[in-house]
Amino acid sequence: MKKIFLLVLVSMLFVTACDNDLNQFPPNELSAGSLEDYEGVLNAAYYYQLGSATSMAIMGDFRADNAFMFEPPYTEFDIFSGTNLKSQEDQFFRPFYSQLYKSILSANNVIENSTNATQVGEAKFLRALSYYKLILAFGDVSVNLSATPSSTDTSIQVRQPKADVYNNVVIPDLQDAMTALSATITNGRASKFAAQALLGKVYATMGDYTNAETNLAAVASAAQFSLQSTYGDVFSTSNELSSEIIFATRRSSSVVDEYTYASEFPGWFGGNDSKSDYPVTEEFYLAFDASDTRRNLINVVSASPFQATSTKYSLATSTDQDWIEIRLADVILLLAEVRNETSNADGSQSASILASLNGIRTRAGLGSLSGTATTQATVKQAILDERRFELAFEGQRWFDLIRTGTVNAEMGQTIDTNYYVFPVPQSEVNATNGVITQNAGY
Amino acid sequence: MRLKFRVTLLLAMLMNVCLYAQDNYTLKGKVMSQTDNEALPGVSIRVQNTSTGTETDFDGNYTIQVKSGSVLEFAYLGYATQTVTITDQKTLNISMVEDASELDEIVVVGYGTRKKSHLTGAIAKIGGEEIAAVQAVRVDDALAGKLAGVLIQNQSGEPGADPKIQIRAASSISGASSPLVVVDGYPISGSIATVNPNDIQSMEVLKDAASAAIYGSRGANGVILITTKKGKPGETKFSFNTYTSISSKYRDNILMSGPEWGAHARAEIAAGNWTSTVANVDPAFLEFRLSAYENSPGAISPEDWLFRNGSTQNYDFSMSGGSDNSNFFASVGYQDTEGIVITQGFERVNARLNVDTKLGDKFKAGLSFNGFASRQDAVAHDMRDLLRAYGVHPVYHTAASIAFVKDIDVQAQALGKSPFDNGYRGGVGPTSINELVPGDRVDDWHYGRANNGIGGSGDAGPAQKLDNADLYRRTYYANLNSYLQYEIIEGLNIKTVLGGDFNNTYDYYWQGLGADSRARTDQTDLDQTDLTRTSILSETTLSFSKVINDVHDISAVAGVEFQNNYFRGTALRGTNVPYGLPANFGSLAPSDVLTSERRETRSRRSVFGRVNYAYDDKYLVSASIRRDGDSRFGANKRYATFPAVSLGWNAHNEDFLKGNDFFSKLKLRVSTGSLGTTSFLGSYQSLSLLDPYTTLNGLGFLIPSDVENSDLTWQTNKETNYGIDLGFLNNRFTLGIDYYTSDIENMLIRQSVTEIIGTPSIVLNVGDARSSGLEFELGASVIRNDDFTWDLNANLSTVQTEITKLGGLDALPNQVYGQSGRGPQFRNYVGGEIGEMWGLETIGDVEMKYILDGSRHPNSQTGESYVVDQNGDGQINSDDYVKIGQNTPDFYWGLSSSMSYKDFDLSMQFQGSQGGEVYNIDPLYYGSQWGGRLDYASLDADGDGKADHNGHFYERNRNQTDAMIQDASYIALRNLTIGYTMKPDLVSKIGVNSLRIYGAATNLLYIMGSDYTSYNPEGVETTNSGFAGPTTYGVQVGASPLVRSFTLGLNVNF
Repeated sequence: MKKIFLLVLVSMLFVTACDNDLNQFPPNELSAGSLEDYEGVLNAAYYYQLGSATSMAIMGDFRADNAFMFEPPYTEFDIFSGTNLKSQEDQFFRPFYSQLYKSILSANNVIENSTNATQVGEAKFLRALSYYKLILAFGDVSVNLSATPSSTDTSIQVRQPKADVYNNVVIPDLQDAMTALSATITNGRASKFAAQALLGKVYATMGDYTNAETNLAAVASAAQFSLQSTYGDVFSTSNELSSEIIFATRRSSSVVDEYTYASEFPGWFGGNDSKSDYPVTEEFYLAFDASDTRRNLINVVSASPFQATSTKYSLATSTDQDWIEIRLADVILLLAEVRNETSNADGSQSASILASLNGIRTRAGLGSLSGTATTQATVKQAILDERRFELAFEGQRWFDLIRTGTVNAEMGQTIDTNYYVFPVPQSEVNATNGVITQNAGY
Repeated sequence: MRLKFRVTLLLAMLMNVCLYAQDNYTLKGKVMSQTDNEALPGVSIRVQNTSTGTETDFDGNYTIQVKSGSVLEFAYLGYATQTVTITDQKTLNISMVEDASELDEIVVVGYGTRKKSHLTGAIAKIGGEEIAAVQAVRVDDALAGKLAGVLIQNQSGEPGADPKIQIRAASSISGASSPLVVVDGYPISGSIATVNPNDIQSMEVLKDAASAAIYGSRGANGVILITTKKGKPGETKFSFNTYTSISSKYRDNILMSGPEWGAHARAEIAAGNWTSTVANVDPAFLEFRLSAYENSPGAISPEDWLFRNGSTQNYDFSMSGGSDNSNFFASVGYQDTEGIVITQGFERVNARLNVDTKLGDKFKAGLSFNGFASRQDAVAHDMRDLLRAYGVHPVYHTAASIAFVKDIDVQAQALGKSPFDNGYRGGVGPTSINELVPGDRVDDWHYGRANNGIGGSGDAGPAQKLDNADLYRRTYYANLNSYLQYEIIEGLNIKTVLGGDFNNTYDYYWQGLGADSRARTDQTDLDQTDLTRTSILSETTLSFSKVINDVHDISAVAGVEFQNNYFRGTALRGTNVPYGLPANFGSLAPSDVLTSERRETRSRRSVFGRVNYAYDDKYLVSASIRRDGDSRFGANKRYATFPAVSLGWNAHNEDFLKGNDFFSKLKLRVSTGSLGTTSFLGSYQSLSLLDPYTTLNGLGFLIPSDVENSDLTWQTNKETNYGIDLGFLNNRFTLGIDYYTSDIENMLIRQSVTEIIGTPSIVLNVGDARSSGLEFELGASVIRNDDFTWDLNANLSTVQTEITKLGGLDALPNQVYGQSGRGPQFRNYVGGEIGEMWGLETIGDVEMKYILDGSRHPNSQTGESYVVDQNGDGQINSDDYVKIGQNTPDFYWGLSSSMSYKDFDLSMQFQGSQGGEVYNIDPLYYGSQWGGRLDYASLDADGDGKADHNGHFYERNRNQTDAMIQDASYIALRNLTIGYTMKPDLVSKIGVNSLRIYGAATNLLYIMGSDYTSYNPEGVETTNSGFAGPTTYGVQVGASPLVRSFTLGLNVNF
C-alpha cells in the first residue's frame, strides 16, 4: 500500500518534469532568420507604403494653398512659424517616418537575401520610393541599407545630405530596378516604367533636367500608358490600375495600415474629418477656369462663407481608394516642366512644350495652352498652374512649389526656408540622444 | 493540525511503548473554553519533562497516562497555558482562559508556516473575519487601508475591474506591479479577485525580500498568500450570507445642462463681464442663442443621463464539517451588480470545495476546487467622449424637442443663417430635421452648428454612440489543486502538489455604423478575442521540523517546482459591419475579418530551500535560496539564483525584560535578500518572430516587433528591511516600524530606439533604480471589558523612488502620454523619480474677456493660461518645462476602529493618500464640443506669442502645462458597518446558532483635494496606446466615478 503511494508520489514528480522545457518556440510562427522565400517580406515592403499616404496628402495639399485645416492645432499646417507643427507628429510625421523606414528595412531584407531578381528589383524600387518621399518631407535623412541594423549603430542614424542619398542610394536603386523589372505591370507591382518615371522625378527634383527629360520622355512615349478619357475615371475605385496609372500604393478596406488612419486620405479632402469640414480653399476654387471640368469635382456647400469639399475620391468607397504615386499626366506635366528648363531659355519652344499638355487640357474641357505663354518664365507658370489643377489632392502641390522655387509667389507670403521641410519626429531625436537632429525652425 | 502539535503527537505515540511504567494510570477529562463554555478540540496536553502527550478530540475529551506528581501542561493557541500537578485524581476538567498577550499566531509563509513570534521578515496578516466583516464584493476592496505598505487604488472604478495593488515601491519602472497571488500553495494565473471573500480563512502579505525570496522569480512585487477555509471535526455547520446594496456616484453636478449654461451666460453678460467677448456677435443672434439654450425642452447634462443608481445583490452559502479523519468546506455564491454608469454590470457565480483526509497514519491528502463564471459589461464607448457631449438637448427626441428644433431653425434662417439641414454629415439617422419622429436619437446637428444654431462640431449624439456599441467580457475560471503528504519519519514530511488552473476569457466588442457621425463603414468594428490560459503546477517539498531540548526550534524545507503556462486563443477583428443587420461574423465579407492566433507556452522550473532556527524564542534566524529558470529569457541567461537571510531578536524574552508588564514586547528584525521579476515580458520577447499579415499582394511578413536578444535576463530586486516591534501593557498597545530599501538592477525596460531599425522600442536589461520606504503599524486595544470592547489599528506608509542608472543614457526618452497628445511630458532620468510629469508652469488663466464668443464656452474657461519662459530665451518650448507633478503619494495611511457593545458592533475603516497628483484631462473635454476660441486680435495683436496687455506668453492648457495638474489626495471613510447579533438563546429556538444583521456604507465620506474637479481622484488611465507602466503613470481620462454605496446584510450560521 505505502509503496504504491510512494510510486504515485515519485511519478507525479516526474510526469510534469519531463514536459517542462525552457526552450520554447511557438509552433505557429516563424523566426525571422528561417525564411526561404522572401515574397512575404516584399509584400510587407509594399504594404508599409500605405502608411505614408495620408501624410503625403496632408503635407502636399494642406501645407500648400489647395486645402486648409479648421480646428487647432491642425491649423499649424497653415502656419509657417514656431515649433507647434511638431504637435502633429503622432498623427502624421511619425507614421510616415516609421512606415517608410519599415518598408526600407523589408526591402533591405529582400535585397540582401532573395535570389529572385524580380523580387530584388521590386524591393529596390520600393526602397528608392521610400527615400524619395522621406527626402521630400525632411530633407537630409538617415540611411540604412542593412536587413539587420543594430540599435546602437550611429552610422545609420546620422542624417546624410540629401544629394548623397539621391546619388548613392535612390538613383542606383532605380537604375537597378529598371534593369531587373519587366515593362509589363502585373497586379499593380513595380515595373520598369515605374522605376524610370520615379527616376525622372528624382532627377527633376535634383535639378538635373537633362537626365530627367530622358527618363520622363521614355515613360511618356511608352505605348502602354494612355490618359483616361474622363478625368473622374482616373480616381474611380472601379477603374483601379487603369492605363494612366504607372504606380499606385494599393489600398483595400480589408487591409488596415498599422496606424489605421495613415491611409484615410480621401476623408480629409472630402470634409469627412471634423478638423476640416470644408477643406478646399476659396482661392483654389476661384483659380479654375469656369469651364474646367476638373472644377466639378469640388462640391461648393456654401458660397459665402465659402465652404467646399473635394469629390475627387468617393467617400462611399474611400477605404478601397488607391494612393496614386505616379500617373501619366504627372509625367507629361513634369516632362513639359523639364523641357522648358533644358530647351526653352529663349522661349522658342514655348508653343510645342505647351502643346504637349493638350491631351490633359482637352480632357478637362479646355483649349490648348499653346500660344498663351511665350517666355520661359510664363510657360513655367502655365505648367505649374496646370499641375495644380490636374494633380490637386494627390499630395503634390507643396513639393511642386519647393521644386520650382515658387513658394513665396504662390503662397502669397514670405516663408522661412526652414519650413520648406517638416519636423522630424521628435521621438527619433530623443531616442538617439540627438544623433538624429531636428530640422532647423522646429 | 499544527506542525508542532503533530510532532509532539508523533513523539508521544512512539515513546508510549517504552515509557509504559508501573506507576502509570489513565487520567480522563474535558477541556472547555472559559469564555463560551464550548469544548476545545485539539488542545495539546503534555507531561512536562517527558515526551508523553496527547490532544483533545473534537468534543474536548482526552485521556492520558500519568502518575502521581506528574506536571501536566495544557496548551492551546490563543489561550493561557495551564499547568496542573497530578495528585492521584482520575478526572481533570480544565477551563482555558483566552489570553491576548499569549496569542502566538501561526503565520503562513511561503511553503510552510511559522509562529508569528519567530518571524524575521516583514509579513502582514489579515484574518478572514476581517475580510468578511467588510462585505466587499472583492477581496482587494476589503484590504483597502488595512495594511501598511500595501496600496490599493481603484484606478478604473468599473465593477469587476481589477484595482491596482502595489506592495511597497514599484518593482519595475515599466511593468505591472501586481503581486503574486498564491492560494493554498498554488500560484494562480488570475488576479486576487478569483477568490470569493467569504471563503478566506486568512491572508498574508509577504512584503520584504526575505519573506518573498522563496518565491524567487515572482516575488519582486510582493506575494499575497491566501488560505481558504477548511472544515473542522464535528457537526456539519452551515452558513448563509446575503446582502443588497444601492450605489451612486459620489460627486455630482460637475457638468452644466444647456439651460443652466444659458442662464449663467446671460448673467455674465448682464454683469458686463463678457462685453468684449460678445461684442463681435450680432446681438439678435446672441439673444437667439441664449434663448435657445434656456428653452431647449428636455435638455439634460450628460452626467445626468450617463450615470444612474447602481445596485448589488450577493448570496453566499457554505457548509463545513468533518470527522477525525476527513474534513470538508464547500461554498457557492452568486453576485449581481449593476454599475452606476449605464450599461455597466458584473455578474458572477462561484463555487469552492476543499477536502482533506488522512489515509492511515502516515498519509494525508487533499483536494480543492475553486471556480467561477462571470460576465462584465463595460461602457462600450469612451466615457470621456460621452461626457463631452452637449447638454443642450435631450438624448432622445420628444415631440416637444422636435417642434423646438424646427422652430429655432426657422428663427435662425430669419436671421439670415443657413438651414440646420446643411449640417447633416452623413450619419444613419434622418437626413433632415423635418423627418424626425419622437424617440429618434438626437444628433448634434439637429440643433444647428456653430454658425447658425446652438450645436457645435456636428458629432454624433451620445445615444448614437452608446446604443450602437457593446462591450463585455465573459470569464470562466477553474482551479483544481491536490496534494499528497507522507510522513517519512517524525518531523520529516514529503509533500507533493499537483494542480492546474483554467482561465478562459471571451471579449466582445461591437461598434455599429450609427456610432460614427459620418456613417463610415470602416469605423465599424466587430471584434472578439477568445483566450484560454491554463497552467499546470507540480511541486514537491521535503519539510522538517523539530524542537530540541525545548530551546532549539529548527525547521527546514526544500523543494522543486515546475510550472507551465499555456496561452491558446484566437482573435477576430471585423470591420465594414453591415448596417441594419444583427452583428454577426457570418454577415461580414471574409476579407473584412482579420484573424490572429496565440499559441504560447511559458515554462519555469525551480529548486528552493529554507532553514529557520529559533533559540529559546529569543534569537531567530532564517535563510532561504531559490534558483529559477524561465523560458521567457534569452537562451544564454535563463537561470538565476535568489538568496535571502534574516535575523530577529525577541528581546522581551530576555531576563532583563521578562515579566515586565509595561514593556511587554521588543523585537528587532533585519533581513536582506534578492528577488527576480520577469516584469512585463511576454512569452517570446527574446526571440524575433515574423508577424504574418494579409496584404493586398498576398501574405506578408511584417517586421518583428522584437529584436533577438539571447542575453535577456531577470531583473533583480535587492531589498533590505529593518523592523522593530514594540508592545506595551501586555501588548495592549503595539507599534511596528519597518524601513526598507530596494535596489532594482538589470531593470527590464522598453527602451525607445530609432524607428529606422523597424521597431519603436526594444526590451533590454538596462538601468537601476532605488526605492525606500517607512511603514508604521499601530494597534491598540483601547477598551476591553465584558460589555464593551474597542480596538484601533492604524498604519502609515511612505515610498520614495529614484532612478540611479539607465545604462549609458541620462534619461529615458521623454514621452507625452495622455489623450491625443494632451498629457504631461513624462520624464524618467537619472536622479529623478519614476514617472515625473513635466510641463510649463502657468501663472493664471487667460481671462474670459479674450474669448471670441463667451456664449459658446461653457465652464467659463478659456482653456489657455499664461506661462513662464523659464530660461528667458524669448520662446516657449520644452526647454521651459519644469516638474509639475507625480502620481506617487508622499504617504498613504489607514485607520480602522472596531467596537462592540453587548450585541452591537460598529466598525470603521478610513483610508487616505496624501501628495499624489493626476494630470486630469477630463476638464479639457467637458463641454468642449461647444467650441469657442480666443480672440487673438485683441489678446495678441502683434502675434508675438505674448499677450499685449501683460507681456506674458500664453499657451493652451492642454499643451503640457501644470494647469491640468490636480491634487489626487483624499481621505475616505471607506467603510462603516453597524451590526447586531441576536442573542443565542433567542435564535436557537429557530434552530440557528447565530444570526447577525448589519448595515454598511462605503465611501460615506470622501474628502478630495480642493482643486480636484472630476469624479474620481484615484482614476488613472492605463489603456491608451503608449502606456508604459510606472514611467507614464498618472494621467486621468474618463475614469468611472467613485461610488458611494449603502448595504443591508444578513449572516446566519446553523
